[in-house]
Amino acid sequence: MKRRGRGIACMWYPIGFTVSANPSAAVVMVTEDGTATLLTGTVETGQGALTVLGQIAAEALGVATDDVHVVSGDTDATPMDTGAIASRTTYVTGNAVRLAAHEALSILFDTAADMLGVRPEQLEARDRKIQVKDFAQRSLPIGEVAQRSQVVLGRPAVGAASYNPPTVPMDAQTGQGKPFNTYVYATQIAEVEVDDETGEVEILRVVAAHDCGTPINPMLVEGQVQGGIAMGIGFALQEEILFDDAGRQINPNLTNYIMPTSLDMPEVQVDIVDSYDPTGPFGAKGVGEPTLVPTAAAILNAIHDAVGVRITALPATAERVLAAIKAKRTGASARLSAVSADTIAP
Amino acid sequence: MPERPRTTVEQHERSQAVDPTVPAAMSLPALRPSAVFPLDVLVPQVRLQTPAVGQRATRPDARLHGLGLTRYIDDMSLPGMLHAKIKRAGVASARIVRVDTSAAEALAGVVAVLTGREIPVNSFGPTFQDQPVLAAERVFHAGDGVAAVAAISEQIAAEALERIVVEYEPLPAVFDPLQALEANAPRVHGGASNVYASKTIRRGDVAYGFAQAARIFEGRYRTQMVEHVPIEPHAAIAEWDPNGRVSIQSSLGRITLGRADLARTLGLPMNRIRLSGTVVGGNFGGKNEITLEPVLALLAKKAGRPVKGVFSRAEEFTASTTRHPFIMDYKTGVTPEGRILAREVRLVLDGGAYCSWSETTLGKACILATGPYRIEHLHVEAMAVYTNKTMTGAMRGFGAPQVCFAYESQMDDIAAALGIDPLELRLRNVFEEGSISPTGQVLQSVVIRKSLEQAAQRFGWREGGR
Repeated sequence: MKRRGRGIACMWYPIGFTVSANPSAAVVMVTEDGTATLLTGTVETGQGALTVLGQIAAEALGVATDDVHVVSGDTDATPMDTGAIASRTTYVTGNAVRLAAHEALSILFDTAADMLGVRPEQLEARDRKIQVKDFAQRSLPIGEVAQRSQVVLGRPAVGAASYNPPTVPMDAQTGQGKPFNTYVYATQIAEVEVDDETGEVEILRVVAAHDCGTPINPMLVEGQVQGGIAMGIGFALQEEILFDDAGRQINPNLTNYIMPTSLDMPEVQVDIVDSYDPTGPFGAKGVGEPTLVPTAAAILNAIHDAVGVRITALPATAERVLAAIKAKRTGASARLSAVSADTIAP
Repeated sequence: MPERPRTTVEQHERSQAVDPTVPAAMSLPALRPSAVFPLDVLVPQVRLQTPAVGQRATRPDARLHGLGLTRYIDDMSLPGMLHAKIKRAGVASARIVRVDTSAAEALAGVVAVLTGREIPVNSFGPTFQDQPVLAAERVFHAGDGVAAVAAISEQIAAEALERIVVEYEPLPAVFDPLQALEANAPRVHGGASNVYASKTIRRGDVAYGFAQAARIFEGRYRTQMVEHVPIEPHAAIAEWDPNGRVSIQSSLGRITLGRADLARTLGLPMNRIRLSGTVVGGNFGGKNEITLEPVLALLAKKAGRPVKGVFSRAEEFTASTTRHPFIMDYKTGVTPEGRILAREVRLVLDGGAYCSWSETTLGKACILATGPYRIEHLHVEAMAVYTNKTMTGAMRGFGAPQVCFAYESQMDDIAAALGIDPLELRLRNVFEEGSISPTGQVLQSVVIRKSLEQAAQRFGWREGGR
């Protein structure tokens, strides 16, 4: 018989390296027409990081996403970056990008201040314009300012900056310290159906509510959460590297190492939790790794809710779940007879 | 749909039509067809809007993925390029007595052969430099590389590997992390113990906390070894210029660290190495350190030609890092209302044959182990242990999925035993803004309660949603 169950799991996860320095540097160059180029040493590994970094640069410069071209991942051409690891790109590299854009912008503000007859600190960049705060009718197209700055005044709008999250080393005996500058939080709830005759688990639905600070690009956040859940499902139910007695892997292939495919994916509902971290770029934190952290826990709790067995070793393959169901039945009937014996004895 | 510039598919097909005057050999598969895609790209409105932050902006690279035009390393070819393959040990623990490459070198089409003894500095690693580029003296796990070949085709390189003779003297091995902790266990890397990293976190007084608790829950949880399984395996191309500068295009996700590791292993100044990260077909933590890059650079130097290497799927499993299996003991003391008073955690990480990112995984797992909960008395101890298995390293979550499985499983057992709804139990214990973390840090922008409420509402938890 197929039995339904639901399970909840929540988690916390840090952004960036544990105590160790993990800086990023960035260069932002505003060209004469007001478009810009961003140089970053990180690498696009499929998550959309370069798009997010471009959006951060664009936001800081007051231009649109498409106005910023991103050059990445070349030790000859881009500044150092600790790289695509530790859910750090949006937060750490993003902060470096924001700071570099402000450096470039300050040159443009100097130029525009003269043109607009105000002081540089009265200016802001918005909608591809440099305008006077609280008096937006006095403004100039950013391209016109960049053109004058570079071609007439000889001050190209180039900014460079770096960022490293502040941490405090952990005490060797007690572990007390500040290993990270910020953390994200999330909850996932899974609904499963367990066949109590075969042990097979089908995941029907996963609801995920993730904190990433400000979502720089909500679509990419959702993509990360969906991908993380797929990975978490494999971790929960299917994937396992197996070894023979001589320490050699016996299933190093995709025939015998079973990964979830699109056909195994349940309905996934993603909510982004309203949150703002003042230390992140425009309030952003990160989202890469946390997306799979609670998935297995939620699924295993749902299996427990469905059939009353607690699987304590992953993956919860059909064989393992069925063995636990059988053990529970035997145990339950044993306990039942013991109870009857007790009641009869006196 | 706005009007797009007419695609040139028909023109393309016409251009591809067989011209009887052109010999068949001239239609090289490596030639890219001309403009099968519109070069006048319509930019989606969402990329043109201000403010930029918060927009569901599409990715320029996604367009290329969709059109099948993204160039991964396997799509690239340089003039005169050779193909490299690495011979894997296939034994988990042994001394290398002899490596005979003469038959491989004699094979027509083989241009260069490399062994571990030829690596200028044959060790690397982010915390401890305990990993050889190619094993020279000693094999620590079955996926260790012992020799490499560059040949004019992948097939010839594979054939040459078969002709390399390696003589091994088997050594004792240990595969189970708990056995590796025993006093008489074989020492994987020598030394006094197989424990190569450990961490402790203490706050309050767990003994006092347990003494105050109405109920105490204990459990052991285990997780397995898994692979990242990126669609694109590890891949790179190395090429030297006549001034003795090496350029490497690689699927690495961390080029700054990669260049440092290359400089060390090749014995070159950093500014004589150019490392470019190509579009990566999946990383998930598995492409954080060098693998075949120094081998390709040295083969390319020997051969005087560019050399490409791409891991096979089997190598992806056996010769790259994996996720740490954990053995986790949890003991938790609670009040009758389900408030957690004390939690004690012991983690043993199967650290595999090399340290790689174990130290980081251990640290994060330790810090996160007690969960996002306000607990006055806690004690976490964790250690990473060498075994003669595939090395474990960075993988999405750095130990967090493992400990989350344990602490959240136990939370549900506590809820069931106390007759408290699992959501309610969590709400009674989670961090608040300004809560103190297990390491004594004041937490800010804490929205765990909000995330629980939001997920529960979306799911229909309180309505008994099933």
